[in-house]
Amino acid sequence: MNNIEELESKMDQDFVAVRYNVELEGPAITPEKDPDVQAILPKEEPYRSIAMGVLHGDIDEALNSVKEGLEDGLSPMDVINDGLMKGMDAVNALYTKGFFFLPDLMLSGDAMMEGLKESEKVLGHKSETKGTVVSFVAEGDPHDIGKNLVVMFLRAGGFEAIDLGRDVPNEEVIDAVKEYKPIFMTGTALMTTTMTAFPKIVEEMQENGLEVPAIGCGGGSVRRDFVESFPMSVYGVEAYHTPKLADSIIKDKKTWKEIRKEYSEIVGEFVPEYD
Amino acid sequence: MKYLVVNHVRRFTKMVYKKGEEMVFGRSKFPVSQRWNIQLGAGYVVPEVKVAPVEGSETSEERMIAECRNIAQSACERAVAIGLPAFMLEQEHVSQQTNNPEWAAETTKAQVEVLEKYYDEYGIRVSLRQTPADIRIEERGPGLRGSDYDNNIEETMEACAANGASDLCIESMGGKALSDYGISRGDPRAILFGIGVLGSIDMEYMWNRIVNICKKYDCRPGGDTDCAQANTAMFMAGGLLDKDVSHTMAALARGMGAARSLVAVECGALGPLKDCGYENPIIKAISGVPIAMEGKNAVCAHSDLMGNLTCAVTDVWSNESVYHRQEMGGTTPEVWLQATGFESALMNTALQTGQEEVLRDLYTLTDKYRDPQALILAYDNAHRIGEAIVKYGKDPYLRAREAALEVGKIINEAVDANKLYLTRFERESLDSSLKTIENLPMDSDQFIDECIRAYSRKVPEFNPKNYELEV
Repeated sequence: MNNIEELESKMDQDFVAVRYNVELEGPAITPEKDPDVQAILPKEEPYRSIAMGVLHGDIDEALNSVKEGLEDGLSPMDVINDGLMKGMDAVNALYTKGFFFLPDLMLSGDAMMEGLKESEKVLGHKSETKGTVVSFVAEGDPHDIGKNLVVMFLRAGGFEAIDLGRDVPNEEVIDAVKEYKPIFMTGTALMTTTMTAFPKIVEEMQENGLEVPAIGCGGGSVRRDFVESFPMSVYGVEAYHTPKLADSIIKDKKTWKEIRKEYSEIVGEFVPEYD
Repeated sequence: MKYLVVNHVRRFTKMVYKKGEEMVFGRSKFPVSQRWNIQLGAGYVVPEVKVAPVEGSETSEERMIAECRNIAQSACERAVAIGLPAFMLEQEHVSQQTNNPEWAAETTKAQVEVLEKYYDEYGIRVSLRQTPADIRIEERGPGLRGSDYDNNIEETMEACAANGASDLCIESMGGKALSDYGISRGDPRAILFGIGVLGSIDMEYMWNRIVNICKKYDCRPGGDTDCAQANTAMFMAGGLLDKDVSHTMAALARGMGAARSLVAVECGALGPLKDCGYENPIIKAISGVPIAMEGKNAVCAHSDLMGNLTCAVTDVWSNESVYHRQEMGGTTPEVWLQATGFESALMNTALQTGQEEVLRDLYTLTDKYRDPQALILAYDNAHRIGEAIVKYGKDPYLRAREAALEVGKIINEAVDANKLYLTRFERESLDSSLKTIENLPMDSDQFIDECIRAYSRKVPEFNPKNYELEV
């Protein structure tokens, strides 16, 4: 026995590190057997198969069911609202409960988007969404995984997300506001000296007489005190909060000032940054 | 093989450390000497401090220079005030520094002046590490190679070396679009392609240039880290209760990251390998170069599950990064250098008194079974992963694949021995990932062809031409 093994044999691991996640996590479930999911999933075919394809994060399963439905003459809007979105609602329910994880959500989002594109082909135009949101990564910053998550959460939540990409010059953001008149914007940054793009964008918008109900700013180096030092902005804590913030603007007509005050209630959970 | 065997570098096919237990903090097989009488990995641990320029300092060259000078001055003052025999200051560039090579020249010069003054006055051993930012945007023409961004990185590297930097590092981003895709979707094949293949190819491009620049000056090529990929996985895996990325998947990404980050050493990097590279113990085991690490004194930057374990075989001990601002105990360069300084003093006391192996083992055991990500970086396991890598050392794809498989084996052995417990999510993610990886081809060309076909449409930022891969 070498030294480290001898030392290890003297240890009671419980006094050193406890894997709480193992203790908390319940038994394995089949997603469609969860009661909340059962309440959401449509009973009728082919909507059920479409929703199940999304729930399983299976692009082929979802897409084939969508194609079959459309060939049988179903309205593309029904396919979207009663099939694809129901599947996504079920995924969101499981994610919120902690039974589903990010990869499940991303794969389901991919399946939903493929089904949506197919439906829009038949529809001949973009389907109606709850509203348009513009998302960008600050100028000079190449880090975009956070923005990509935000975009996926927004789309899964029924919003049209205009993805401007990363290292986006401020003028492009302003142009996008003029073009899309978004109900909400999201900006992300990893570096201390690229997040300074946010107040500049707000300033330029004000100079141009433009207003967006709220701009959610987040990312690695971004802090609440910095974000709240300029107007129109809200500090976004988690990517999955984004559609809830957007919902509050659409449904409850919340302003950026109100979102700052009521952030925790709006996202429906304890958020240390806001309490 | 048409892609990866066009090797312009010497690949590791043997381990420099024959056993894991030969490794300990503060000692490496190939210590590095730098100007200002400092040696790294030569029998003592050097504390490091790194501070991010404050927002607003990017508005002019003068402000950025003043900011960098202030950071250096604060660090030197505290180092002397608490009696540190040596320390390293690292400046990780913000994009404005790397985008303006003339700024980089002047900020480096300003920090050199401060460090030199303290070296002359007190004899304190100092080191100035400059880490330009990888500001390349893969999807924007002409891509990773030869764009203005790329040229600015090279010019900035040269500006730092010419103006007195002790060594140069970077956290290169090649393959990140693929690994981001794979990490967020739980797709181990995409992660392996992004880290093991694309990351390795891009590092060779980047590091041959950095090493050539360093040869012209009294400046050492330091190292690269898989910050953009394996650390993204670790960051997203988060704490025990987070539900974004499984901790077993993050451990697999770390194993692959070691096969990738080794390329810097193969191109001529001498170390200390840059902190933030949690994969560094594996590379030290393979190559014998000194390493920098971070853990419990990097809580200002992020959380990890191995705060002590990462001390075990390090040569430089870092705080990762922190906002430049005032704490109750002083400015952040002062406060965080004090934190890394006292931890290094403990390690150096152990080295002086012959207790280094005991302290190394205590550091290791506090975290070894806290999480699978910690388990695989314990020095004994790091050595095992190193052995897996050198077994297929000549082929960047196969060695990353083998590293991932060995990570899986190590985790499963600990689970079978009832030492490590996994959640259902971690268990399923590990089982399905290992199955996928085991079924991948043993031929690089075939794997690359399959991946180019599979991901070119799914990941729009990915362009095989950026890696000189044929379509």
